[in-house]
Amino acid sequence: MIKIKNLYKSYGKLEVLKDISVDINKGEVIAVIGPSGSGKSTFLRCLNKLEEPTKGSIFIQGKDLMDDKTDINKIRENVGMVFQHFNLFPHKTVLENLTLAPMKIKNMNKEEIEKKAYYLLDKVGLKDKANSYPNQLSGGQKQRIAIARALAMDPSVILFDEPTSALDPEMIKEVLDVMRALALEGMTMIVVTHEMGFAKSVADRVFFMDQGTILEDSSPDIIFNNPTHERTKEFLNKVLNR
Amino acid sequence: MEYLKVLKEIFIDGERYMYILKGLRFSVGVTLVAAILGVMLGILAALMRISNFHPFKKSKDKKLRDFNPLEWLAIFYTDLIRGTPAVVQLMVLANIVFAGFRDMPVFLIASLSFGINSGAYVCEIIRAGIEGLDKGQMEAARALGMPYSVAMKEIIIPQAIKKILPALVSEFITLLKETSIVGFIGGVDLLRSANIITSQTYRGVEPLIAVGIIYLIMTGLFTKLMRKVEKGMKISD
Repeated sequence: MIKIKNLYKSYGKLEVLKDISVDINKGEVIAVIGPSGSGKSTFLRCLNKLEEPTKGSIFIQGKDLMDDKTDINKIRENVGMVFQHFNLFPHKTVLENLTLAPMKIKNMNKEEIEKKAYYLLDKVGLKDKANSYPNQLSGGQKQRIAIARALAMDPSVILFDEPTSALDPEMIKEVLDVMRALALEGMTMIVVTHEMGFAKSVADRVFFMDQGTILEDSSPDIIFNNPTHERTKEFLNKVLNR
Repeated sequence: MEYLKVLKEIFIDGERYMYILKGLRFSVGVTLVAAILGVMLGILAALMRISNFHPFKKSKDKKLRDFNPLEWLAIFYTDLIRGTPAVVQLMVLANIVFAGFRDMPVFLIASLSFGINSGAYVCEIIRAGIEGLDKGQMEAARALGMPYSVAMKEIIIPQAIKKILPALVSEFITLLKETSIVGFIGGVDLLRSANIITSQTYRGVEPLIAVGIIYLIMTGLFTKLMRKVEKGMKISD
């Protein structure tokens, strides 16, 4: 579903991504792990062109992202994103956060969109918050709303950029549970995360990134129990044996 | 009681309060016209500053590629205006730019000068309001597939306005007080009316205090209005 070939990204002289080539299939859950500064987030943000890749090619469902003629807004409708800091719209109610983009972009009537929004709020367990404003919610609730907001566009893949890194420890589970449920439903997900437990139990594949490359791309079983690279071992050692 | 008689002599006799009323009308008029002009210029300049206009995109030289003439013009304008005293701008406009237009009313020249002056500050207020927003807001909107214009209209501008309005009101308060320099080009505003009364009555303090109080009442009204607006906006925060 996603084909990435020889992807490079640099800021001036600094090369953040170096020659990344990888294919991601429909329904796969990918966990992207690695030390900070290894390019995980940049890699993720290239997939919906929040960052402009320097060179290489990205195809999502056959559409070439690097082609100037491709309407990036159309691609983004199909590629949801969940941010570390939620980025909910503070001046809109929870319900409006979910319905705003579909209302402005999609050719659906208001009732249909709201019905779907309530269904999604119910799914993330926050139906009663529909008329609250984001600043009345806890971090975990905000992130669940952000996931529901991404789902409201009916994407075929969702990118998660460290979705639990800004949360209090108590609230991490409620967000991971929602993500786990999504994964079970067959949603294609690419998750940049430091939650090794989540990567181990939910991901189909784990990418270990270091210094702008995907150093290792295997099943969680291999990455966590029997990694090929010394660097992977070293990283996991540091993260898991705290 | 003696003093009341003195005050009557200063302000009521010879209908001298009329100077103050006329001055008041002039000051408020100039402020209003200048504020409207300032907001229009400010919005225009702010749009130019945040614009993404690169006519030499294809050039080989990196500097020329990144050159945005609209942004450059807006920066030149704001730097020039904010870097020189308003009196100088007023005098230049009246004595150099419009030197050949003897019949041009002082009111018009003053309004134009203060409008151009205020526009530079309004531009910075608007730009700061927009750029001060969390970058994540624009990213979230764009990531949902909203085009830039929709994201601006639905997400950025409504939030920026909350930050902009209070600063804008304090800019208008400054503007109102600053119009007191039109005496330099012969405009008879509030402050100048006090001088006229002084020259007729040889009383320097009372007329000044009187116009001071009038300024205070007007700015006070402005501030009060603003607090109301701010309170109203906080509800959805």
